[in-house]
Amino acid sequence: MNVIGAILDHGSRLLPFALLLAAWQGVAGSGLADPAFLPSVGAIGHALIDLGATQSFYADLAVTFGRSLGGLALGAVIGIPIGTVMAVSRQAEGFFGPLVKATYSLPKTALVPLLILWLGIGTATNVVAVMLATLLPFVVYTYHGIQGVPRILVWSARAMGVAEHRMLWKVLLPGAQHAMLTGLRIALGFSFVIAIAAEMIAAQTGVGKLMFIYGESGSYNYMFAAVAAIMLLAYVADRITVAVSNRLLRWDDIENRLG
Amino acid sequence: MAMRVIWGMAHWLGQAVRAAYPLLLLALLWEVAASMGWVRPVFLPPLTAVIGQLVALMKSGELIGPLAVSLYRTVVGLALAISVGVVVGFLMARIQAVRWLLDPLIAFSLPSPKVAFLPVFILWFGIDHLSKIALVAFTCVFPFIIAAYAGATTVPTHQLWAARAMGTSSRGLLLRVIFPASLPSLMSGVRVGVPYALVSTFTAEMIAGGGGLGGELVLAQRYFETPSVFVYLLVMLAAGYVIDMGVLRLRARVLRWHEE
Repeated sequence: MNVIGAILDHGSRLLPFALLLAAWQGVAGSGLADPAFLPSVGAIGHALIDLGATQSFYADLAVTFGRSLGGLALGAVIGIPIGTVMAVSRQAEGFFGPLVKATYSLPKTALVPLLILWLGIGTATNVVAVMLATLLPFVVYTYHGIQGVPRILVWSARAMGVAEHRMLWKVLLPGAQHAMLTGLRIALGFSFVIAIAAEMIAAQTGVGKLMFIYGESGSYNYMFAAVAAIMLLAYVADRITVAVSNRLLRWDDIENRLG
Repeated sequence: MAMRVIWGMAHWLGQAVRAAYPLLLLALLWEVAASMGWVRPVFLPPLTAVIGQLVALMKSGELIGPLAVSLYRTVVGLALAISVGVVVGFLMARIQAVRWLLDPLIAFSLPSPKVAFLPVFILWFGIDHLSKIALVAFTCVFPFIIAAYAGATTVPTHQLWAARAMGTSSRGLLLRVIFPASLPSLMSGVRVGVPYALVSTFTAEMIAGGGGLGGELVLAQRYFETPSVFVYLLVMLAAGYVIDMGVLRLRARVLRWHEE
């Protein structure tokens, strides 16, 4: 009974996608739009299968996702300690606070041309751009997460004999876990945008570059297929992040789970 | 009296310096490192040279023009995203079938890097304003749909009943009850959407050219005019900051009646 319900539920979630594809096919097949501008669903699906069988496509995907996840990891390694220090020390807050505020509204992709001047075109520029863009969500969410830990938990822990130097590991960071994982989810989204945008601005490899090559050579069905592949991968990465986060947060209240 | 004013100003100045000292320190370090020749000026020109270039570009009109172009694209894209987003969000909140149709599509599109659609928009709309506006609108429409939906679904049911009982029409219900009740949520959406819109505009300009601050930034980098690169970066930063301040003030005005 439950299984049938689950299938029906999934089916009704998937049906809108089928309707969207049908509408797309309807417009593409009606001859209203130039097939170059709007390839049919079949042509895009064909291109997607073709790409799926191409070794170099996986290489390009690996390059792009490697850059975005590498930059994300660096952003976490640098951002989480900064956010932590800001939350526990007034001096650190006074020092980093204005810097965070001043750089918050800077569009991070705009740093790519500057990084190209410094590091040249390639992976280094891309990874550093992603690192700089993901740094702030980690800093801000870690900071607010630790700040939001109820004082009563700290007092209770102290009363139960937790040493001050272990408070961070025992109480503050676990208490901030939900906020930090939210920051991770946001940073993950940023990392894909920045990695792909940086490749579109200047790169030799990666899917961002690949899409423009397809666009310039007129292989539009492959261009659409690459867009679809990126959307799919970004969605899967987001769902994995949510699933892992909720597994880590299974001790926490239900309303603190990610959506 | 005059003493008190001077003291007040000195106090204010002290506060300002204390609040901004890391930035001043950074600026000082930048200036010293560059003018002592620790780094080559092509990589990091002195801050004073950047400020000089800022004044020069301002005088020659190479700053105001591109800024206006970028802001035009941002504002039009945002306006499109708000109007479409609010309508779609309200429809989703009111009509079950619309929610069933769009909810899975939005959930799927939300985490995707929207910039991946830029080649598609260039194909459809060319490399001038329209493809950039399309990217801005497409990037920002999702936060607005969600804000409008969230706002509309938080209207207490008894308020809807009360309005109905007092003879409010469907249209009146939407315009005079649901819309005002959604304003706090919508204003939060604006605050989230504006930086996205600016980033999308600059990014699209950097990728596809066609003028604007992003286009000028990439050109300056290609000709190794590093001071100009920094000028354009600082102007983008300032634009984002000033607009965010404006949104906050607008929010405070629009939501005077709303308790936070």
